Amino acid sequence: MKNPESTPPSFFLHFFRWFCHPSLAKYVEGDLMELYEERVREKGKRNADINFSIDVLLLFRPGIIKPAGYQQLNTYGMYKSYIKVGWRNLVRNKSYSIINVAGLTLSMACGIFIFSLVSQHLSYDNFHHNPDQTYRIVTEMHRDNIGYTNCVPSPLGEYFRNDYTYAEKVARVYMEPGALVTLKRENTLTKFKETDGIAFAETSFFDIFNFPLLYGDAASALTEPNAAIVTERIARKYFGDQDAIGETFWLENKIPFTVKGVLKNLPSNTDIKSEIFVSYVTLKAHSPWLADETGGWGGIRSGMYCYVRLQADASAAKVEEVLSAYVKIHRAESKNVHHYKLQPLNDIHFNAQYGGPMGKNKLWILTILGVFLIATACLNFVNLATAQALRRSKEVGVRKVLGSFRFQLFWQFIFETGIITFMSILAACIIAYVTFPMINTFFNTAIDVNSIVDKWLLLFVLVLGIVVTLLAGYYPGLVLSGFRPVAALKGRLSQQNVGGFNTRRTLIVVQFAISQVLIIGMIVIMHQMKFATQSHLGFDKDAIVMVTMGRDSTGTRASVLKNEITGIPGVEKISLCFAAPSSEYEWGNSIRFDNSVEEVNFRTSMKLADADYLSTFDLELVAGRNLSPSDTVKEILVNETLIHKLNLQSPEEALGRMISANNGSMNGAIVGVVKDFHDKSFHEEISPILITTYTRDYMNYAVKLNMAHAKGVLSDIESLWQQQHPDQIFEYEFLDESIAHFYEAEETMLRLIQTFSFIAIFIGALGLYGLVSFMVSQKVKEIGIRKVLGGTGHHIVWIFGKEFVRLIVIAFLIAAPLGWWLMSNWLKDFEFQTQISSWPFVWAMGCSLVVAAVTVSYQVLTTALMNPVNSLRSE
Amino acid sequence: MKKFQLGEFEEVVMLTVGILYSEAYGVSIKKEIEVRLSRKVSVGALQTALKRLEDKGYIKSHEGESTQERAGRPKRYFMITALGKKAIEYTRATREELWSAIPKIALSPKFSGQPL
Repeated sequence: MKNPESTPPSFFLHFFRWFCHPSLAKYVEGDLMELYEERVREKGKRNADINFSIDVLLLFRPGIIKPAGYQQLNTYGMYKSYIKVGWRNLVRNKSYSIINVAGLTLSMACGIFIFSLVSQHLSYDNFHHNPDQTYRIVTEMHRDNIGYTNCVPSPLGEYFRNDYTYAEKVARVYMEPGALVTLKRENTLTKFKETDGIAFAETSFFDIFNFPLLYGDAASALTEPNAAIVTERIARKYFGDQDAIGETFWLENKIPFTVKGVLKNLPSNTDIKSEIFVSYVTLKAHSPWLADETGGWGGIRSGMYCYVRLQADASAAKVEEVLSAYVKIHRAESKNVHHYKLQPLNDIHFNAQYGGPMGKNKLWILTILGVFLIATACLNFVNLATAQALRRSKEVGVRKVLGSFRFQLFWQFIFETGIITFMSILAACIIAYVTFPMINTFFNTAIDVNSIVDKWLLLFVLVLGIVVTLLAGYYPGLVLSGFRPVAALKGRLSQQNVGGFNTRRTLIVVQFAISQVLIIGMIVIMHQMKFATQSHLGFDKDAIVMVTMGRDSTGTRASVLKNEITGIPGVEKISLCFAAPSSEYEWGNSIRFDNSVEEVNFRTSMKLADADYLSTFDLELVAGRNLSPSDTVKEILVNETLIHKLNLQSPEEALGRMISANNGSMNGAIVGVVKDFHDKSFHEEISPILITTYTRDYMNYAVKLNMAHAKGVLSDIESLWQQQHPDQIFEYEFLDESIAHFYEAEETMLRLIQTFSFIAIFIGALGLYGLVSFMVSQKVKEIGIRKVLGGTGHHIVWIFGKEFVRLIVIAFLIAAPLGWWLMSNWLKDFEFQTQISSWPFVWAMGCSLVVAAVTVSYQVLTTALMNPVNSLRSE
Repeated sequence: MKKFQLGEFEEVVMLTVGILYSEAYGVSIKKEIEVRLSRKVSVGALQTALKRLEDKGYIKSHEGESTQERAGRPKRYFMITALGKKAIEYTRATREELWSAIPKIALSPKFSGQPL
């Protein structure tokens, strides 16, 4: 009778069991089975199966279906109780809960911020076709030392494309920064300054980089001269809502471009910033030297990039080998020996040597900081939870007596930690979402606020929650679940049973060590920054404004304007020059000394300037005399470093000797030697410098203002300037500000460390506060007895105080060497560095002591000043 | 007058439980109704009605022995409660009352067709 044939369709049976009200299930199932077997006997299995299914479906109706939320007999009820008990505990110990939640929230908000920042940087330019096969060709310049540039001689790409088949695509692109774009419409001239510049790109650029075109044809848009592709944003900015295709704009009022295509706006995670792309063939009209396919080998213009996508079977090493052949052919004589290297696309954003904006090591530091902060908050939690453990010994005892296993209790406490963690995570997410825009402006970051809903971030938050729960809950759970029930119920447990003070002392020491390292780092960075921005650079940088010269085909307006500006009251001095003594714009050159045929083996920096340069910037002559006014190269000033590099004994020895620069096109005699000044940031050593007159390449008016009468001078200069150059945009920058820009990365770093050290101290203080209040509540009676026996308030404060002082001293002994080692490594980045003084260490120690004193004293004082009657009367 | 709520099918089920007396459980009730009234009864409709009756307190149930042919599942036997007895008696009484109130002529075969 019971043969396997006669079982009803299992799907419907299971479905029935799932929905049926448990109090009915077994009887109704019995009825169903009885009918089923009868039908099998009478009408066959198939018929019975169908009838069974129909019966089950007809049973699916209210009254039979179990009500929503119906409790089955299982362990869910226990979890519910865990949540309830956990929540009651949180509510009962409000101050502890707030400390825990605040600490975790703050650190996790930092964690989310750091994660978003790091993942955003890791996503840079990862969306192009075949990123693994894509490279940028970069140049190592071997002289007496090695220089690195992310650019190449302009003809390189063209030669490589024609001579070899390794590359699937080769794209040359010249990015001109700060372009002046104008629109000419019926007598009105609209001017735009495009700080992100304009790119002269070959068509293949869009084969390598995945920037989709909205309108126009990518393959043909950039083949013609004077053709352009702009992004949607630029199209809207220039032409409003009308169709941009076919419209015209002008570059530097000189070259017209017709829009042939519109790109989708560039994503934020690309290092390509230019939003205007024009055909590479037009470069001939803009810069004949760059477009010259043979003369271009002579040097490297910054902004001239070459990207390649190699065939699947070609190796980068092989390509580097064939590229080296070009050096022998085209640069046989130069002492500046180029080595062309292939830099992988995914290295571009991170390699500082080649201008990558975010070194991987910085990302690592940030990650470590984030882990530190979260670890500190977890330590706090562990600390507080173990300190509180005694209060719950009775609960643990009762649970164990009623039959709980150790692992069940352990999971109960993990569960409670989970509640706190996920409350904090929720708060952290809200905080992160609200503050991201502020954080972006403060730290110069560009985190997309919408990335908060990114799936990776959600995953990260989830994983973070679980990891923090386990980290913070593991140890307290272990301690609590390990209580022996008899001892726990009899109240015989003492502090020694809950991990002892030593564990907690260690935790406090680690926390303080972390915040002290951060404080030391912060102060050393601040010292170095102050040193870099405030020490005398060898020239005067205050009250000097650099005004960009207008473009001028006649070549006469500059000197006219110079005379006019000199006449403005409030202008002390003015000089026409290529760049300020310290500037990011510089012109590297190889020179021949003393009629030698051989070039010298070091790089020199050309500073083209008129005779007023020395007096405007207050540069000091150590030998010889100033330049005499001239429009072309006649006389040359050099700096002391150049004298040393030439192995001359004294500055006087150089006077009168000839220098030939720029491949022999600039020749002059040395007439003077200037004292060394910092021509670059403190990261780099001082270059050998030539100063000479050459009117054609002047770019700036350096105007020294008398700050007492400076008001209105700038607008006077502007109106004079605009009279001369009505079709261009007036621009100026104060020299001290542009020098401060050298240290932008350090500024950001400093802000990050400042913020994080404050947060670390805050979290540490929270932990300390929790611990102290716990200790105090444990020792209330002891304090009462001491007072009765004649102990004074400060006596009692000291009992607690000396404990913490000792801990802080131990933390300091760990933090000081670690901080010193870390910061001397950091300082190695600077060619000119401050000594690490004792101040950072004093500050670190002092801050921790003050924070500890403030945190500890409030709690201790309230107890110490309490009337002993209150603490002793109840027993 | 909604003293005792009893639907038509519920009434049939209750009466059948009464007929079967000590043998009233799901399948036997179903079969009894099907045989006596020649109508199809689905397990779902029957169980719903039984549950509703039990909720109203008209019938009560107890667990019976489990048998082999029911795959080891126990039977659930139903009995009419005192309240249930009142309810069917009340229903019956209201019917009788209505019956007796019908004039004889209305039911005579002559007039069973169209009215005059």
